[in-house]
Amino acid sequence: MVRRIARLRSGRLALGILLVVLVLAVFGPALAPFDPLAGTDAALAGPSADHWLGTDYLGRDVLSRILAGSTVSVLGAVQVALIALVVGAVPGILSVYLGRSFEWLSLRLVDTLIALPFLVFAVAVTALLGNGIPQAMFTVGILVSPVFYRVSRAAALTVSRSQYVEAALLSGASIGWVVRKHVWAKVLPPLSIALATTMGAGFVVVSSLTFLGIGVQPPAPTWGGVLASELQYLSYQPWAPLVPTVLIMLTVWAFNLLADAVRDVTGEAGRALTRPVTTPVAPVTQRTA
Amino acid sequence: MSPDAPLLQVADLDVHYGSRRSRTQALHGASLDVFRGETVGIIGETGSGKSTLARAAVGLISVSGGSVTIGGEVVTGFSDRKWRDFRRRGVVQLVFQDPLRSLDPDNTIGASLAEPLILQGRASRSEIADVIRTHLARVRLDEDVLDRLPGELSGGQRQRVAVARALVTGPELVILDEPVSALDSANRVQVLEILADLRASGVALVFISHDLGSVAGITDRVAVLYQGSVVEVDVTDAIVNRPQHDYTRLLVGSAPTLATGSLDRARRDELRSLVGAP
Repeated sequence: MVRRIARLRSGRLALGILLVVLVLAVFGPALAPFDPLAGTDAALAGPSADHWLGTDYLGRDVLSRILAGSTVSVLGAVQVALIALVVGAVPGILSVYLGRSFEWLSLRLVDTLIALPFLVFAVAVTALLGNGIPQAMFTVGILVSPVFYRVSRAAALTVSRSQYVEAALLSGASIGWVVRKHVWAKVLPPLSIALATTMGAGFVVVSSLTFLGIGVQPPAPTWGGVLASELQYLSYQPWAPLVPTVLIMLTVWAFNLLADAVRDVTGEAGRALTRPVTTPVAPVTQRTA
Repeated sequence: MSPDAPLLQVADLDVHYGSRRSRTQALHGASLDVFRGETVGIIGETGSGKSTLARAAVGLISVSGGSVTIGGEVVTGFSDRKWRDFRRRGVVQLVFQDPLRSLDPDNTIGASLAEPLILQGRASRSEIADVIRTHLARVRLDEDVLDRLPGELSGGQRQRVAVARALVTGPELVILDEPVSALDSANRVQVLEILADLRASGVALVFISHDLGSVAGITDRVAVLYQGSVVEVDVTDAIVNRPQHDYTRLLVGSAPTLATGSLDRARRDELRSLVGAP
């Protein structure tokens, strides 16, 4: 699928941006020119040869803080998506095959999750598990999992009643075989769209939660945290919030672009768009009756 | 099992759809025997239970009464595991009406054809490739279809692929549910020729159709299904020329492709009112 996405211009762009973000997440902390926690005397300095993006109100190098914060930001978004995938998509597919009681139970659980108010649940989780990025992301992941459950269940449901699944069953296929060979390929496209959208949303949530001081505790840097501290000194450095904002926006946009590309390359229409043209099969040896 | 016992024995089969209030009976004590190597047609109008009979016989839907025996084994009441083991032997296969829906759109033709053989788990890769090639030739398809997706083939080619998939396990009985209804006349003739070859090779066939005309030329016997019951079973010639049941008479008279002379509208209405309950 990646190869087919890369054939689309928008897909290439999305993959390119996300690759840069991934590099930032992996090598960001090592690339930081200064200690992201060490303050200097030059507070709120503009860009200079030493501090490319200036310094914040404690004189900390902004570039270093953004680079050092990228790991946490990206990991948080990935964590949200993974939790949603495991808690939502897997039971969604299984609900079609594991019999009526599992189906009923999982549907009611999902209804409950949908009904849960976000803040109450977040506070309850924080009270139970403490304040921290993993806990916050766990909360968000659980709360978006119903989307994954519905999407994968809907896709699996259509496939489970199809004749090719019946044909496979008639050849002695097990449920596991059917899911692996037939259902998975049909669930993957809508699921990857949901995944890409959630990664984008997860990014915003991580950023806004750290903006609010939930999850990551200061002085640990994150993109949302940098944005929050820059915003307080808007009157001194009106341009400063731009860099973290653009970073967050670009990443979210890239994820949405990727989601669109995934939608475009899957399904019959998508194949026609990205597949090399094949000539129709010539009619085979006709018998003269 | 004795050599002259039926290969497929359907006895007093009842099938219900829906639950409680919306419960409807699709089959009322339907019975049918299919012997080795013979070709039996099942005809009836839409909703008469033809497909239900076929699907119940291969265990795709559960039955509420009666029994199905395949090759001397009573398969009614099989657990999922027993069905799986039984089906992997590949004794009975089903060909669906619409080949576009019965082939996975994401799997190449090669993958679809290999699936039953992989599930059997006996053959090596090269053996599987050999078997597939043999059966492609049998349904008159070129090898270059193997890398294609079902959406890239014509309707006739797809149905021949579906037939080939039913044949790769070397079944003794193939049930064909309206195999040519979705095809144009040229492809229909080609698929019917393939079925005639199959019949000559000794595979028992059950040919389901709403049209007596397309069944008459290829079957040894015909069963007439009406409102979930088999109302008449006889050799094809007798069904066409000396129908006993009023409904059969109606069917014979309504078949546009039969040369036995069609009924006028008044006579059809008269028969329709006579038929009533089975």
